[in-house]
Amino acid sequence: MTRRAIPLLLLLASVGFAAAGADGQQSNGDDRGVLRAIAEAPVETREWVNPYEDQADAIAAGKKLYLRHCAECHGRDARGSGRAVNLRSPGVQNAAPGELVWFLRSGNLWRGMPSWSGMPVERRWQIVTYLKTLR
Amino acid sequence: MAGESILMNAGFRSFGGVLGTLHEFHLKASYNWNSMGQLQISCNWGSVSILPEELRLSLAARAVFGLLLFAAMALLPGPAKAQETPYFVTYSHRLEEPGNLELEFSSTYAAQRGGNDFVAPWLEIEYGATGWWTTEIYIDSQHTLGDGALFTGWRWENRFRPLMHEHWINPVLYVEYEDVNGADKTMIEVVGFDGEADHAVRNAVASREHLHEIETKLILSSDFKGWNISENFIAEKNLAHAPWEFGYAVAASRPLRLAATARPCNFCRENIVAGVEMYGGLGTTDSATLSGTSHYLAPMVAWQMPSGVTLRVSPGWGLTHPSHRFLLRWGVTYEISGFGGKVRKLFR
Repeated sequence: MTRRAIPLLLLLASVGFAAAGADGQQSNGDDRGVLRAIAEAPVETREWVNPYEDQADAIAAGKKLYLRHCAECHGRDARGSGRAVNLRSPGVQNAAPGELVWFLRSGNLWRGMPSWSGMPVERRWQIVTYLKTLR
Repeated sequence: MAGESILMNAGFRSFGGVLGTLHEFHLKASYNWNSMGQLQISCNWGSVSILPEELRLSLAARAVFGLLLFAAMALLPGPAKAQETPYFVTYSHRLEEPGNLELEFSSTYAAQRGGNDFVAPWLEIEYGATGWWTTEIYIDSQHTLGDGALFTGWRWENRFRPLMHEHWINPVLYVEYEDVNGADKTMIEVVGFDGEADHAVRNAVASREHLHEIETKLILSSDFKGWNISENFIAEKNLAHAPWEFGYAVAASRPLRLAATARPCNFCRENIVAGVEMYGGLGTTDSATLSGTSHYLAPMVAWQMPSGVTLRVSPGWGLTHPSHRFLLRWGVTYEISGFGGKVRKLFR
């Protein structure tokens, strides 16, 4: 009976820890961590050419993807919240599109930004194309 | 004073799966004075399937119920951030997004030789604790035709990403505790010499065996040009002095369309992911061999709707004699974005 209780106790402890976990990694709108993470992008990503640059369809598709996948944390207006950075900020807007595409793939797991490697690169480019219209 | 007096008698009914079985849980506490003048207090609880005897829901009625539930979930508002793979057995390196809660009802139907076919539904409750840790609870059940239905146990699973950035091959460490009985037929993983013959035992007999197991997996997974390719190496140990059992699962999947379209859409190629997985046992520490092990090949398709609902279906075929000839798995997933934050707000 004692042996069976151990997993249950561990489970209860982890529920409490998990409930606090995501909160403990909130960035509180502090862009510095994200900017550091973007700065880790390989140099060559600055030279990557956006295949969808200024294409109206790609901007519309990127907005659709943004609202579906990103707005929950970054806000529908992309101005960020307690959980996520302001995507209209100069630090993000001045980053090269390739750096942002790389960052979306890599994520910043320690600070709560998931990796979006499961999203095809075409869609990541569409999201970045949309984000660049928010300047 | 002879006779039994009821202190409490409570019960409720629950569906064991979208197209699964209906159970009645009961809790009964009572006391009586025996012939020696002693007070006896008793308490019992349990669950019984009431589907065949009381309700006699036809398969069509259950299908209608499932469709209604599915439609209700599909119409629920709120975007979700799902980037799930369509696999039933294989894990990729994609974890639940932090603070998101995912509910999943899945079932396995299996054709059984030497016994009755069965449906084994399970419920998954998955939570993204952090960007690198996902924790999940499973509640398993099964309904064997002509042999009734029962809950078969629970599992607690944790997945950890040790590397904080994306690589060509991304490892994930998986640890699970299982408290199930011998009648569990969900086949969420196949290890050791698991086979069709294990599922031919009647529920009353099989459920007497209680299994406390630790299951570990090394998950390796890559995303490349829209494809996900995942490999799992499984080691499972019954804590009651049994040898380690080994298994594997490999899978690949890809969306039918890589770029998104400009217009909103539900049933369109960009929301459909197709794939295939293969899994099976690799023997035990006492006998590491492929001989006598089960292996399955299963294509699958998933429809990921913008509402956060994902519908998956996967027929599977056994490749070796100890395998079931045919499996059919299906599942409905609903993801609640920002669940953790909403709960925390309730306590502030």
